[in-house]
Amino acid sequence: MKEQSSRPETHLTNGEADGLREDRERWERDVLAPWLEQAPERPSELFELDAGPEAAPLYTPLDLLERGIEHERDIGLPGAFPFTRGATPNGPRSRPPLVKFYSGQGTPEETNRRYRKLRDWGVEQIQIASDLPSQVGYDPDHIMAAGEVGRAGVSIASLRDLEVMFDGLPLTSFKRVGALFSSLGPLALALFVALGEQQGLTTDDYVVDLQNDPLKEYSARGTQFLPIRPATRLAADVVEWCVENAPHWYPLDVCVNHLNAAGAGSSSGTAFALANARCYIEELLGRGLEIDSFAPLLQMFLDERDDLFAAVANIRATRRIWARMLRDDYGARDPRSLALHVTAYGHGRETRQEPLNNIVRTTLGTLAYYLGGVQTLYNASYDEALAIPSDVALKIAVRMQQILTHEQGISLTVDPLGGSYYVESLTSDLERLILDELARVDEQGGAIACIENGYVRSVIVEGAVRRQRRFEAGSRAMVGVNVLASDDEPEPVDVLRVDAEVEEVQRRRLAEVKAERDAGAVGAALAAVTEAARSGANVVPSVIEAVRSYATVGEVADVFRSVFGEWEPDRAF
Amino acid sequence: MGTGPGLLDAEPEAAPLRVVIAKVGLDGHEVGARVVAQGLVECGFDVVYLGLRRTPEQVARAALEEDAAAVGISVLSGAHLALLPKVREALDAQGLRDVLLIAGGIIPDADVPVLEAAGIDAVFHPGTPVPEIAAYVRANARV
Repeated sequence: MKEQSSRPETHLTNGEADGLREDRERWERDVLAPWLEQAPERPSELFELDAGPEAAPLYTPLDLLERGIEHERDIGLPGAFPFTRGATPNGPRSRPPLVKFYSGQGTPEETNRRYRKLRDWGVEQIQIASDLPSQVGYDPDHIMAAGEVGRAGVSIASLRDLEVMFDGLPLTSFKRVGALFSSLGPLALALFVALGEQQGLTTDDYVVDLQNDPLKEYSARGTQFLPIRPATRLAADVVEWCVENAPHWYPLDVCVNHLNAAGAGSSSGTAFALANARCYIEELLGRGLEIDSFAPLLQMFLDERDDLFAAVANIRATRRIWARMLRDDYGARDPRSLALHVTAYGHGRETRQEPLNNIVRTTLGTLAYYLGGVQTLYNASYDEALAIPSDVALKIAVRMQQILTHEQGISLTVDPLGGSYYVESLTSDLERLILDELARVDEQGGAIACIENGYVRSVIVEGAVRRQRRFEAGSRAMVGVNVLASDDEPEPVDVLRVDAEVEEVQRRRLAEVKAERDAGAVGAALAAVTEAARSGANVVPSVIEAVRSYATVGEVADVFRSVFGEWEPDRAF
Repeated sequence: MGTGPGLLDAEPEAAPLRVVIAKVGLDGHEVGARVVAQGLVECGFDVVYLGLRRTPEQVARAALEEDAAAVGISVLSGAHLALLPKVREALDAQGLRDVLLIAGGIIPDADVPVLEAAGIDAVFHPGTPVPEIAAYVRANARV
């Protein structure tokens, strides 16, 4: 066999490729065309992927050839460059996705009850869902917290709340513990450090996994409260502290999820998230850190919930892009830097109508992430489109992941869809869309510039409007809603209600904490946070001290507000 | 379109109705509000969007200053029972009893009558076509 400079995955010679092309043309003319006469296709808009491309009727080795896909260069082997087939060599055979749950509701006591249940059901990672006041840096007694305390998650005002949430649950009860707190990363880190100390643990004993990704808040999630540059700096402080003190922790998870859900679509959403990642990486490099000291601590939260095959392809494409970006743009050499660790949240297009159908949707969405080879995984409960999950819905969601690990041969081999003509073609097509969007962001000056000039927002809103139009036209199909809707009586669903007394309970607890703590120690600790924030030093050590002294979420956030100023809402649409 | 005795049917040349859209409370899910804002513009409305984390008083002041026919509030955090009646109260306190107050977001069916009793004129669930919202505002606008 002659060596060719461009060797397609299929190892076809030019003559063989010509033969296939002729076969394909003959098939289209003699077999497909007459068939379509009697069996016309459904409307072409149904074959458009939300992620961008339109699916072709058929994929063959020719599609790989036309895209110039080379096996060794572009696909390779799992756990090896370019990591298309997986971050680790043995995939789910050694490590099935960690079963993780995003959970928290009402009071810390109620949340503790639920965490114990999750542990008993075999959940391996808890990601605290905290309420909006805590995420935006307001205590339960703040005027802006009215009506929101304990609503979208558990109310957290101080270390005292975590003590209750993890009562009888050492942080070692789970393989990882974490929280979002994307606008207050140092505080989340400090809460886990201080709680671990109280439980007699050292940071070596447990693993903390934080989202700590403020940039996507400004575009898509909405908990930002500081100006964007200091928020980025605080996120980098968390990473830097972990590099020095807990290098086996995961201090930053760069999110596609919220960008896609808001309307960007998974391709542009992935590009925006990669641009955000570049921003964090460059901030850390600017501090003099070596790329290989911190890149292994970063993860991405990928998301494609409209199409199972596109989800698999998006994950594979993003791993390939990440490996090349880290090697070529940042000079990373450590394979742990190049192998992107991925988390995801199993969703479908969930509906409020006939909500039990969401079990089917989320199963497929979760299956996609198993097939894509993620490291840790959440999945949605069927009632999430209605409210915070009920116990019944939550248990089904936990069991869903466990079934995917143990049944139906889902987790027996690495990258089971690798080599599929469709999935490899789609991987390559999505990679191109992501790289093109990333280039547009780079041309405009990077992530922060594109958030500030409205570019990211405009892509998100255009995408959301396109989804709404496709929904209204029925091409974005939701069975039982815009297609095949039925006139049956709605199924009764037991929706979890958060007790309105939570706000009162949490205000009382806050008052108790403030009465019992050493006010002098709190004042000194907050002064130290102020000093660190002003001087440009890493704020984490001072925030840990403040949390130990029972300074509140609102007090620490107010220090940042006073030093950095406040974010102004964007009135454009 | 024959949607009822709306102002526009009587006076096609009249100035477009103005709608103030805002997020109250801390919920940061903004896209639904923006999509509705943009959709209403396409349906011929004047739209003023106030952005995230507005207080009921800020919303009412804007409704007064902008001479709004309707105020649209989006809440996805579950705080709708606490927040939406306060928006009505704030509007009433500005003398804006005639301003239509509509809401969207994640709002359980069981809460809709409670909100209606508190003076919220209509609740639209996710996925409602924007022209449906537009038709409702046209047909029911009181100012």
